[in-house]
Amino acid sequence: MVLEATMICIDNSEWMRNGDYGPSRFQAQADAVNLICGAKTQSNPENTVGVLTMAGKGVRVLVTPTSDLGKILACMHGLEIGGEMNLAAGIQVAQLALKHRQNKKQQQRIIVFAGSPVKHEKKTLEMIGKKLKKNSVTLDIVNFGEDDEGKTEKLEALLAAVNNNDTSHIVHIPAGPNALSDILLSTPIFTGDGEGGSGFAASAAAAAAGGISGFEFGVDPNLDPELALALRVSMEEERARQEAAAKKAAEESSKQEKGGEEQDATMTERASEGASEADNKKNEFLALAMSMDEPASSQDLQDTEMSDAAAEDTELALALQLSVQDSAKDSSSQADMSKLLADQSFVSSILASLPGVDPNNPSVKEVLASMQSQSEPQQKQDEDKAPKEEDKK
Amino acid sequence: MACTHDHSCEDHDCSSNWSLYKHIDLAKVTALNEANPGSVKSVFKAWEERLNSSGERLESNEGDPELLVYIPFTSDVKIKSISVVGGADGTSPSKLRVFINREGIDFSDAQSMQPVQEWELVENLQGVLEYQTRYSKFQSVANITLHFPGSFGGDTTQIHYIGFKGEATQLKRDVVATIVYEITPNPSDHKTRAETGGGLSHVE
Repeated sequence: MVLEATMICIDNSEWMRNGDYGPSRFQAQADAVNLICGAKTQSNPENTVGVLTMAGKGVRVLVTPTSDLGKILACMHGLEIGGEMNLAAGIQVAQLALKHRQNKKQQQRIIVFAGSPVKHEKKTLEMIGKKLKKNSVTLDIVNFGEDDEGKTEKLEALLAAVNNNDTSHIVHIPAGPNALSDILLSTPIFTGDGEGGSGFAASAAAAAAGGISGFEFGVDPNLDPELALALRVSMEEERARQEAAAKKAAEESSKQEKGGEEQDATMTERASEGASEADNKKNEFLALAMSMDEPASSQDLQDTEMSDAAAEDTELALALQLSVQDSAKDSSSQADMSKLLADQSFVSSILASLPGVDPNNPSVKEVLASMQSQSEPQQKQDEDKAPKEEDKK
Repeated sequence: MACTHDHSCEDHDCSSNWSLYKHIDLAKVTALNEANPGSVKSVFKAWEERLNSSGERLESNEGDPELLVYIPFTSDVKIKSISVVGGADGTSPSKLRVFINREGIDFSDAQSMQPVQEWELVENLQGVLEYQTRYSKFQSVANITLHFPGSFGGDTTQIHYIGFKGEATQLKRDVVATIVYEITPNPSDHKTRAETGGGLSHVE
């Protein structure tokens, strides 16, 4: 509940046309700004927020610090993208705007969205940082978008110069499937050093994760938490599977490791639930298929978490056994395992043993078809992996 | 200058003169460019403890000896003189500029504004020097801002004690606490004497 006046510096340079975040970088930024404004005004009704743009024809203050959310949202409309970002001038103008705030009792904070390359020298940025620290202005930096030589280093140096007792933060957001605002929700920029802002952030995070404001999937988490959890988990897992499939060829090792960790978490979650629904079983099977695809690098994680899960569910035990065997062998046998899985009769026999799953169910058939097509690229991949692992050795 | 009487201090209690620290609103004291946030509160203590440097002291950030201290009082005071005890090895402040009854001064303001009074300070490690004010200008001080622009060559500025001599009035300067502004009047908020019983007047 800190009484704060905040100035948000938006990057509306040419680099913001890029689409690697959300619909476009600029749109992702706008969403994040809206969220921040909401969070600040909720955590303390006397907080004020202002907005300025750093690129375009020059630094321009769109809104001086105000607690009127409508004004801030309105000014984000009709913003034009163009020009180059001038970080130093932007921060200095923000500092000036804060100096002339109406309520001198408010703490001063600047939030900078740095999406394009930083053309200033590190020395210049450090001097600016020192001046901010001297006037007790805190600074939050959101580093996203372009990542060229020295940008991260310069921003870290700026943060080090400003930081006074961990009140200033920097967040690096790589491009990915998650929205910029979603990632920001979990950072200290939102949680406000662990204070009242976290209430807003938590509820917003819950809504954002489902992709729908309000109840996820039409299920009230309060009425049926297990079902809601199961649905959310299967949704995330489906997303993860698609992401892994799409990016496999290019970024093998790092992406799959990440996918493996997500999987293990979801598998243990599901095991501890005990909910036995048809959807769940299908998803377990999907998880099994995915875990078969995981490389040797994430095996250790799988081993520990899977031994816990095995105690809970017998059908799961079968799946785990298969994957444990798989991790013990080398990549060539992995290919065998996936061949086995691709074998229709084996698969349908397993499916028949699962209660509530009808092998003639069209969606089940669809899953099988997708797995078969997966097994072919899988084999090619294993061949690639085999020489790679030999190189590592 | 301090204790200008020629007997030693044990005969009377000098500290009673320097008792304005009791009227300082310590919770609202702030400083700019201090190395440890909140350390500024430690420099306001009793006269006897002015040389006691075992506690915290106010120190500016490395490489920047400028300091700005904002001190609000709980009631209006009249300040006769100010005493400052600095640090050793050139970390004492060399100059003092004060501003009265101005809130929210920062460094750029302090450097450009004309102070109410300024003094060239001397190293005052024993705390025996005091700097007298132009008393007429310091008659009703609700808050005071001290600006120390530099030190005696040290990398930082250290201050161990700041003392004020003077007297406190019981007056308070700013009184506007709660005001209700009405855009349209609400009759139920304005009960007249007629409605509450008594009085001859009648308001429609």
